[in-house]
This record gives sequence, structure tokens and C-alpha cells, in this order.
Amino acid sequence: MTDLEMKLKAEAKRLLDEHLVDVFIGFRKENAPLHPQPAFFTNSDQLDDFVYNNLCQNNLAKFLTRYPHETKIGMIVRGCENRSVNHLIVERQHPRENIIMIGVPCTGIYDWRKITQRCGEEISDVELSPGKITVKTSKNQFEFESKELLHVSCARCSQPNPISADLVIGEPVEPKDPARAKRQVETFGGMTAKARYEWFTHESERCIRCYACREACPMCYCAECFVDHGAPRWTESMVSKAGMQTWHIIRAFHQTGRCVDCGACERACPMDIRMTYITEKLNTDMENEYQFICGMDDKTQPPFAAFTMDDKTRFVA
Amino acid sequence: MNYILSRNDIPKVLEMWSKTHQVFAPQKYSNFSAFLPYEGKAEQLCLEYPHNTRYPPKALFLPQSEELLSYTKDGQASEPALDAKPKLIFGIHACDTRAMTLLDTVFDAKDYQDPFWKARRESTAIITLGCDEPCSTCFCTTVEGGPFNRQGADIIMTDIGESFHLEALTPKGENLCKDLPYASAAEDRKVSNVQEKATSDMPKAFDTEGLKTALDANFDSSYWEEVQRSCLGCGVCTFLCPTCFCFDIADEAARSKRYRNWDTCMFSVYSREASGHNPRPSRKERTRQRLMHKYSYWVDQIGKIGCTGCGRCVRYCPVGLDIRAMLREAGKLPVEVIHA
Repeated sequence: MTDLEMKLKAEAKRLLDEHLVDVFIGFRKENAPLHPQPAFFTNSDQLDDFVYNNLCQNNLAKFLTRYPHETKIGMIVRGCENRSVNHLIVERQHPRENIIMIGVPCTGIYDWRKITQRCGEEISDVELSPGKITVKTSKNQFEFESKELLHVSCARCSQPNPISADLVIGEPVEPKDPARAKRQVETFGGMTAKARYEWFTHESERCIRCYACREACPMCYCAECFVDHGAPRWTESMVSKAGMQTWHIIRAFHQTGRCVDCGACERACPMDIRMTYITEKLNTDMENEYQFICGMDDKTQPPFAAFTMDDKTRFVA
Repeated sequence: MNYILSRNDIPKVLEMWSKTHQVFAPQKYSNFSAFLPYEGKAEQLCLEYPHNTRYPPKALFLPQSEELLSYTKDGQASEPALDAKPKLIFGIHACDTRAMTLLDTVFDAKDYQDPFWKARRESTAIITLGCDEPCSTCFCTTVEGGPFNRQGADIIMTDIGESFHLEALTPKGENLCKDLPYASAAEDRKVSNVQEKATSDMPKAFDTEGLKTALDANFDSSYWEEVQRSCLGCGVCTFLCPTCFCFDIADEAARSKRYRNWDTCMFSVYSREASGHNPRPSRKERTRQRLMHKYSYWVDQIGKIGCTGCGRCVRYCPVGLDIRAMLREAGKLPVEVIHA
């Protein structure tokens, strides 16, 4: 157990033992390599298999909306999770006073797909040490620098440090390479319309409509998703080109001004579909056009959800 | 009879089979593998992967979206032609082949035969590639199968190094092998070694003895509440599952067509009724349904567990939920003894 893990676990234990929280959301040891599980500790006796490392790939803010507003929730937040929680507070999904955020400056999440693409899917063991990862298969052993395996969203992360956590454990870390986000948006935006459509088609055509992207996203908490509407029907039900493309476009558009680019959607996808190239474009537009970055505080409405009487657009007033 | 297919001859033989069959083989697709029509690109083949294709080959018989009929405004309806052209699936693992035989009990049952399923099944030959290196996520031997299980296969293929050993199990299989050289006694011996070793290497993932009783006795247990907490409620486990067969029928008025789409008990809309009432209102009931269906209801219906231990749900669950661990725990739940 790393020093960080021990400190986090001790803090979780304290919050539970002192009844400051009803539940502490963190991670527990995986059953199969690469996938530690989100865990919901209600008693410090349950903390034996507590784990926290760079393979903890889920955005825990996802689970905030599952609890009644009265539930006192303690949780681990990395930079992106902190911003997700902030935005969920903006959207009144849980009151700030009933959340205790234990912040962790984040060194980035390793993308399990990058690991399996390099080592094959049959992985027997993974050893993590600072900046390094050793992956064992039945025949080989691979060593990687951590930066090689970062998920694309983590590699371009501009906010790895928690910004409004109640307590931060660990030293602040440097932002990664935010210029990458700009480069990707520029690359995609710089292509011809035909090439962009081909890219989008190539990604969306693998979709199996399992909606893991939706379910992994903290911002997708609608009681009824547009794809599940029977009447009116917004999209074809099949894994047809129209059905899959509509899903991917509208899912992304619903995130306008609400996406923190945590990349949880991509990491959940069983078909390796890239999705953040669309949401990052929307994030960049929000920043350039409205100087808005989602989740930087827990008060500011995203531009497309905000309403003011002196709105510049005439139809509003 | 037993035959030999040397590794170097695979492209040639697939070419030969392609003359009479549409051949499907595991091939590179994006960053992973899937059963795709073989188009002469031997370098795309993924026969060496120890793990299964990501997308389940059940889709070759039960496509994720399938047209059932088309209609016109003046009330004419027509069904699409049945797919009866000869097909061959090459290199499918035993768990996935066995899954087809389980699905036959649904789509080709005594009282109901699905014409689309049946036509594809009858026109398809299956060459199972046994697993000499079962994966850490595999548990076929726990659920009445095995890495070299023969159920559903026309030929069972074993990797014996330089070449593959093919044992034809049906007349369909014999017919496919007729141009291949016979295997020698020494090669036959290698096969039994490989098969026995692979099978004996696999540990039991959980105890199936008494599992159904424990599950049935604990339908209302708080265990289901506990086990579903990290579940996202997505469809990864069921859509990638080789034995999940649930579907929904949708009329796509804009196309004037009726479709059958895969559906999953993990979605809340799956069980939501027209009134708005949902008998499985939360992930608790839906998670329970997934496990109970495979490990209790299938047993009630056909006397077999409805899971072949392929491990896809374990491998690709976005939150690392492991059905083996879930069942291990479920098996330990108390079973109340009722005295007469």
C-alpha cells in the first residue's frame, strides 16, 4: 500500500468513524487486472480492500446523483472529479454542505486500452511504481513510463489538482500538456468536412448502443434519456448508421458547457470508440466564445443553461 | 476422422472453403478482433489471441439489428428472404460455439422455431478452435463446458505447434476436411496432451453445487442491494455475452420496416411497462435478473446453466464487476432449511 493510499484510507476511516459521512466513495481492489472497482464504504470495517492508484478509471462523481440530498457523502476527488462535483452542485444534484471532498492531486489515469494494445489482452499482473508501470503476461514482461499510458484526457489535463476539496492529500502536481487539447481540436477542425465526417463515421460505426459512455458520465443522470423515449422517437432504434450517429452527436451536444473532459466515457466504451474529440471541441468553444470552463466553481451556470433578463440575444427578453 | 492443417496452408485452405462457403474468421477490427467475412487477408487473422473476440459471434446468427418485415401503406407486408447460403465459421472458441447450442433451446425449441435463426444455423458449419491457453478471466470448466468442448462444433481444431489438428465431428465437418491430409498417430497423441493440460490447468471459479438453491432462497436478500452498487447499468455485460438473447421489436415507420434489436435486462426501459410501472425499478432487481436468469431460470427451463464462462463480462465491465466473485458470494448466502 502506498503512502497516499494509507493516508486516504485513514481519512476515510476517520470520516466514517466520526460519523461525518454516511458513505465514503472510493475504490476497492480489482478482481481481474486493470479494473479496480468503485466502492461505497459505510463502515470503516469495510476498508480492508481499499485501493487508490492510476488504474482507478471511473469518475466517482457519477455516483453522487444516486443518493438522496440528505445523505452525507465523503468521496475521493481528483481534479476532474472535483469539477464534476462542482458542476453537479450547480445543477442542484446534491447540496455542497452534504459533500466532503477528499482531494488527490492526480498524476493521470492509465488507459487500459493502451495497455492491452501494447501487451495483448491477457494480462496476468500489473505493478505500479511512481512514474512507471510493469505489466506481466504469461510470456512477457513490459515496462512503461507512466506518460506513455495516460488516457488522452489525462495527457492533456489542465486541472489535475482538486480546486475546492475540503482536504487535499498529497503535493500539487503540474498540469500535463493542455496544448494537446488545442492541437486535437485544431487537427479535427482543420480537416475538410468530408474527412471529418469519415472520422466520425469510422468511430461511431462500432457503437453497440450499450450506453456505457452515458452511464459512466457524471453529467448523464436524466431519469429518461432521449434515446429511450418511445414517443416521440428521436432516433432510430437499430445499430444503423443514423441510429448510432444520432446517439453520438446528441450525447455530445448535451454535454455542451457541462463536460470536464474526464474521459470516463471513452474508458468505459467496450468498442474503443473515441468520443472526447467532439466534447473537447465543445469545451474549446465554450472557453473561446463564453470564457467558461465547466466546474471551476460550484455557482456559475453554463452559458447554455443560464438565463438573464439582459441577455444579449433579443428573443430572450 | 482426424486431419492436419499446417499453419502455412491456412490462407490456401480458407480460399478453398471460400469457393463454397461464406467464411467468417476472427480478424483485426479497430484495436481488437471480431468475426468478419474472410476476404483473403491472412495477415488480418487473429487465431493466436488466447482471448475471445470482443464482439460476440452470436451476432452471426442473431444480428444486433435485424429486419423482420417491411410493409407498404396499402397494407402489404413482406418478410426478408431467409439467409440459407452456406457459411463457415472458422476459429471460434468452444465457449462461443457451445453458446449457440444453448441459444438453440430458445430459438429452435419444440414449440417455437425462429425461421431466421434456424436458416442461419442450418446453413453454417462451425470449426471450433480449442483453447490451449485459457485466459485468467475464463471459467468454462466451472459451467459445464471446457476449453475443448465439442458441443455445436462440426470440427474441433487443436493447435499442436507447426500445424492445427482437425477432428471432424459431423458429416458437415468430414466434408470440409476431405482435401486435407490425415493426422498421424503421433499427432493425435499430441492433441490429447494439449487438451488435457488446458482443461486441468483451469481452476474452478466458484462452486455451482447448491448455487441455484442459494440464489432462489435469497431472491429478497439485501445481497443484491450490495452487489449492484458499483454497477453503472450499461449494456456491456449483456451485449458482449454470447448467451444473452433478449430482444426488442421496433417499428421504424420512416423506413416502413419492423426490426428486432438486441435488448438488455440491465436497462430500465427493458422492463418498463406501457403504464409506466416498472417491475424491475432499480439496478438491484436488474442485476439480480441477470444472474438469476443465467444461474437459476435457465436451469429451470433446460437443466443447464445459461453461461459458458467466456469471461467477456468480467473483462470489459467498465467498473470491474466480476460475475465469478458475485456468484461466489451468492453461493455463501444462507439457505433456510424448511422442516416438514
